[in-house]
Amino acid sequence: MGYFLKKNNLLPYLEFLQKEKNLNVIVPVLNRNSASCFEELSDANAKNIFLDSRTWFSPKKFFLPNREREFLFEKKASSLEIHETIKHSQKVIFGMRSCDLHALNVLDKLFLDFYGYDLLYRNKRHTTLTIGIDCKKESENCFCESMQTDKPDFFDLFFWEKKDGYFIEIGSERWEELYCKKFFEETRETKNKSAEKCKTRLNTKELEKIFEKNFEHKIWESESERCLSCSACTQVCPTCYCFTIKDFFLLDGKNSERYREWDSCQLQQFTKVHGGIFRQSRKSRLRQFVMHKLSYYKQEHNLHLCVGCGRCISVCPVQISLVQIAKEIQKNPLEGK
Amino acid sequence: MHEFESPLKPELAEITRVKTETGSLKTFTVSFSDKKTLKKFSFAPGKFMMVSIFGFGEMPISISSSPYQKHSLQLTVNAVGNISRAMHLLKTGDKIGLRGPFGRGYPIQRFRKKNIVFFSGGCGMASIRSAVYAVNAKKELFGKLFLFHGCKSPQELLFREDIEKWEKEGDFNIFVSVDNPTPDWKGYSGFPTDLIARANLPVENTVVLLCGPQIMMNIAMQKFKDIGFKPEQFFVSMERLMHCGIGKCGHCNIGKEFVCVHGPVFSGTELEKMHLAEG
Repeated sequence: MGYFLKKNNLLPYLEFLQKEKNLNVIVPVLNRNSASCFEELSDANAKNIFLDSRTWFSPKKFFLPNREREFLFEKKASSLEIHETIKHSQKVIFGMRSCDLHALNVLDKLFLDFYGYDLLYRNKRHTTLTIGIDCKKESENCFCESMQTDKPDFFDLFFWEKKDGYFIEIGSERWEELYCKKFFEETRETKNKSAEKCKTRLNTKELEKIFEKNFEHKIWESESERCLSCSACTQVCPTCYCFTIKDFFLLDGKNSERYREWDSCQLQQFTKVHGGIFRQSRKSRLRQFVMHKLSYYKQEHNLHLCVGCGRCISVCPVQISLVQIAKEIQKNPLEGK
Repeated sequence: MHEFESPLKPELAEITRVKTETGSLKTFTVSFSDKKTLKKFSFAPGKFMMVSIFGFGEMPISISSSPYQKHSLQLTVNAVGNISRAMHLLKTGDKIGLRGPFGRGYPIQRFRKKNIVFFSGGCGMASIRSAVYAVNAKKELFGKLFLFHGCKSPQELLFREDIEKWEKEGDFNIFVSVDNPTPDWKGYSGFPTDLIARANLPVENTVVLLCGPQIMMNIAMQKFKDIGFKPEQFFVSMERLMHCGIGKCGHCNIGKEFVCVHGPVFSGTELEKMHLAEG
């Protein structure tokens, strides 16, 4: 026995979560520039909810904001006080795809587990519920089946799209926080069989080792010739997590704030120390992005940092594709290694 | 640490002494303001602290004092960027923020009964000095001790008093070189790497600790290999940009390693598997 939500009840249900359950409801919307992203549900965007494909921008900004204040340093007469930013807004993100949920799992491992936790991430993660939605058809350039992220997991509720509504799969103990007696009907429906196969395929068998052996492959040179180091790939990536920490003085001459901002391995200053820049060439920076996604992380944590959403391929202004790079290396590996 | 305390929150510390070492290098003796933190604090040589200069930012600085020194630690800072220049303007009594110690230091307990070669260049002497102090305090546990240090000019010679003291005590074979000598410089002129072949070093049962500019360390390791050293005998302190110290911010990533967590000290065998050039 499961639950069913009629299609015409979707918006009323989301509004119920917002008004009755006092949750910040985040939904995928198509904005005025035809770019899809996750935004807080409002009267203005309620008619623009976008469920046709995965969004252009990933929902990672709700866990790792592109800019957030970490501390306020308040100078007192003889001392200094450090105030932490503590946010506790309860929210629910609706419309996460399987790849987005897997990406969140990757971030959870990194920010809650490996080498210790990060408090800013932890606070936001623990106050967020997730509702996934299945993909009726593949999105542009996506290859989730190859990355084994096509099976939805790590959600609180998951909506399987049926003809006139959604079959609701329960994924966690916290799901009751999202329960709605008025709209959830009991049903004997089941979840859908796997959706249409992704056209883009990538053989990931021992991929991390193949990359490691082809660190000096000529593809890095040839692909990076047209790379603009624009860092669009790292901005749309749902698992790119690198950040920088900066201090700013308030304009009162004594207090200051510490901010955390997204950073990108595609930028030169990413590895700048006083002695020089470690990844000076575009080639090395492109290689860092691709190998971090498909090789380094897997070597260290036995988990690919890439979830196969294909956003970086779609957004690249010069059509660089990490799938094409991987395929070329698999086809023509360096000799003798 | 309390479970809900941010690992990125700095602890307040006070500068108790500032010593100008050379033109661009100062050593700050600092002490945690909180007595409990001060009491709990301990570190292994080679580890580093994240130092906050409030309003300017946070930077990784290796600890240059002895791990046996109680109630304070020393940070030797080269004024090269915004944060380090801001730190150079601070005086005794000023407050800074500290987090740490982070990373993996020199595995000194594994060096017992072995000969040790310390090899440093420029401000790399800061982390080497801490290791020298640790070894010197229990020198009966170790074999022969050698110290190589290179700097740009005699005025740039870091920790001159320490080096003179160790030389006087006679436990160390000390080789100091300067790239650009002044007329009154009586020691060796040239690169410290040129002295390796002349030092008559024992190769068997010896470890080499290196810290300095990457190019110097690469040449040094090659010269050590030329006289018979193996990669597993090297322990190298690496430098990278860091913002968090806890394996999150991604800046110090070299291949699968994070320098802030798995390093900054790597063994030569580990280095051979890493992509050091543009990796």
